[in-house]
Amino acid sequence: MEKRLLVIGPNGVGKSNLLESVELLGSLRSHRSSSDQDLIHWNNDSAIIRAKTSNDENLSLEFRKVGGRKVLKNGKQLSRHLDLLGSVRCVGFSALDLNLVRGEPLLRRSWLDRVVQQLEPVYGDLITRFNRLLRQRNQLWRYWKDSEQANQDVLLDAFDVQMALVSTRIHRRRNRALKHLQPLAAKWQKRLSKGNEDLELNYLPGSALEGEETELSWRLAIEEQLAGQRNDEERLGSCKVGPHRDEVSFLLNGSPARKFGSAGQQRTLVLSLKLAELELVGATFREPPLLLLDDVFAELDPIRQFLLLEAVGDDHQCLISATHLDAFEGDWRRNSQILELERQQDGILEVG
Amino acid sequence: MHLLRQPKEKIQVFSNALLNAKSKVGQCKRCFHLTAGEECEICLNQQRDPSVICVVADSRDLIALERTREYKGLYHILGGLISPMDGIGPDLLNISHLVNRVDRENTKEVILALTPSVEGDTTSLYLSRLLKVFVKVTRIAYGLPVGSELEYADEVTLSRAIEGRREVE
Ligand SMILES: [Zn+2]
Repeated sequence: MEKRLLVIGPNGVGKSNLLESVELLGSLRSHRSSSDQDLIHWNNDSAIIRAKTSNDENLSLEFRKVGGRKVLKNGKQLSRHLDLLGSVRCVGFSALDLNLVRGEPLLRRSWLDRVVQQLEPVYGDLITRFNRLLRQRNQLWRYWKDSEQANQDVLLDAFDVQMALVSTRIHRRRNRALKHLQPLAAKWQKRLSKGNEDLELNYLPGSALEGEETELSWRLAIEEQLAGQRNDEERLGSCKVGPHRDEVSFLLNGSPARKFGSAGQQRTLVLSLKLAELELVGATFREPPLLLLDDVFAELDPIRQFLLLEAVGDDHQCLISATHLDAFEGDWRRNSQILELERQQDGILEVG
Repeated sequence: MHLLRQPKEKIQVFSNALLNAKSKVGQCKRCFHLTAGEECEICLNQQRDPSVICVVADSRDLIALERTREYKGLYHILGGLISPMDGIGPDLLNISHLVNRVDRENTKEVILALTPSVEGDTTSLYLSRLLKVFVKVTRIAYGLPVGSELEYADEVTLSRAIEGRREVE
């Protein structure tokens, strides 16, 4: 199979569905759909994605209107959906991803989490645990609004101890991943901007990570901060310390890209992040992940288009969707497999 | 539903049986286990060691532990775990009874046997902080949960070990 697969077709024909299917198999998430219900045709009870990997694994991911998701690997149902991860590794980029630079900190945290998750599948358990602790803790204040109770501090201590431990582990992993991504992303940004742009990634943790970078010293520091913010927390109803308040800043030539970057610079920045992720994940598993580029070329000026095309598809397999073939010139097109999609009637899209 | 196709009299008999069972089965006034009498069989059993209390979330956990035939002490049933999301605070569980009981019965050791979930761990930490000032509190050791990741489980196990050691002192 060629390294590059071009998916060409008019809007609404299902190009994005194809890329989204690969993304769902690789990450169990979709950047386009926030709810599984959106993935299911209104007239059907379920939607199903089936795939066979080059390692001869048969994967199936079913979304049901009733009963949620059903995940099968080689015909066996997986009780833990996370166990599907690792069969297909992919890194996606779509026009919507500009929000990674422009949008809420939450989007940058989710991006970073997705990177860490690919490197360490156990990370998902930490995030799940932390989110549950945080929800329970926030509910606790509401519970106490109705009735003041004895030993409130004792119960808060119980939360602090657990949250400090899980927070430390999340902070360490996010910090570590960002440190690994930094030089790679900077390299790509330079290349895709013809040497004009220096990119810097900074981790701004939601807890003050004081003392040595050891689990014990960070944990104790966070425990102290959690205890110290209780009055504010009671007043505001939310916890002020922890990885749920992490932020990542992107600096281009020393200035925040969010405020001062042009649209083209911001797009290139997101691409650089994704390519860095691709490289990092690829180096860790010796098998580079798939790169998914969903309708991004139209958004770039011709020079950046050219630089991007030059950069992708040599070391890793990539799936690219576009409405027209025009952007893909000469050698590049010749070394690619081209799939032209036409309107489908039955809702089944098969690619082999 | 199967029940709906039965003659009316049969349903009457069935629902009376249910009501009887419900009114006969109450809670042990000492440990809150299910019992038809004032106190449950375990609390009344002279062979058991009354100086040790094993704390569990509900009667199902007690029954599971009894099946192992390892444990010879008494129990205390909390009636659930602390979960503010579900509207369950410490005040709705049999926690103040436990504190009073430990004081009154001169308990030597309290063993916490709660699941290692967020709610189970929160409840365990809360109880150990309340109790450890006047009684030895221990936690049962969990092995690797099925399907868990080795690294995380190791960390958890480690943290339990640290937590446990602190309390033995
Ligand atoms: Zn009893």
